[in-house]
Amino acid sequence: MRTLVIGGAACGKSEYAEALAVRKPVPRYYVATMMPFDSEDVRRIEKHRAQRAEKGFHTMERYTDLRGLLLPERGTVLLECLGNLTANELFAENGAREDALGAVLRGVEALEVQCGDLVVVTNDVHSDGGAYEAETRRYIETLGNINRALAARFECVVELVCGIPLPVKGVLA
Amino acid sequence: MILVIGGLASGKRDYVKKEFGFTDADMADAALDGRPVVYNLQNLVTASLSSVDGLLPALLLKKVVICNEVGSGVVPIDKTERGAREATGRLCVGLAEKAEKVIRICCGIPSVIKG
Repeated sequence: MRTLVIGGAACGKSEYAEALAVRKPVPRYYVATMMPFDSEDVRRIEKHRAQRAEKGFHTMERYTDLRGLLLPERGTVLLECLGNLTANELFAENGAREDALGAVLRGVEALEVQCGDLVVVTNDVHSDGGAYEAETRRYIETLGNINRALAARFECVVELVCGIPLPVKGVLA
Repeated sequence: MILVIGGLASGKRDYVKKEFGFTDADMADAALDGRPVVYNLQNLVTASLSSVDGLLPALLLKKVVICNEVGSGVVPIDKTERGAREATGRLCVGLAEKAEKVIRICCGIPSVIKG
């Protein structure tokens, strides 16, 4: 079962995705994509790590080249999140740059092959107008294309609003 | 308490007036006072960033709380804006958890997403 969890900032999507993944078989892998830049990021990562504590997740950090990630065993994967992974592939020094879209999609495909259940968290960055510089627009468009490609083939898509899960596709587990 | 959310100018206040019979005089703009309805909660959060946790109990005593959905854009570069967006989202998750009903307005059309 593949589930895409989408929502805006601080909408409760991480908590929902974790609660969903915890109901899936072990071993559980948490693939973290957030590259820390400053103390705010470090605090955010620590907060998420604390939320995962004792839920049986093995954390694997992966900022780019998701395709190259090998999972030790077959189990459940929680990938968080595509917003960061896409930014890393687009803008980081060792990112795929022009091939960011392909790199992210191939990376998710590689995870699908290696696990039984997959939960992917992504970000709604699409609803505050489009008056951005070219680079930011490229980010919004790339992430939008990734979200659409995954939503088209995943069994379940759920939007989180104020902590409330709203089914977009499929039946909520 | 009923939580009403939606984008800017999506028809939230008009809906609350029509559906629940409130008037402009019942509605406080980003302020906590004796009036039963608060709107522009996102502005109240921005104005009280250092004491956001204190807002929740007071808001639960309102009949209706109206808030713009502000989280679905690109992460703001400005730290205060970023913090306000995060705090607004978090507060709405807390309010929704306690609310008897949560209604999301889109193009003036309500969807009851809780209750």
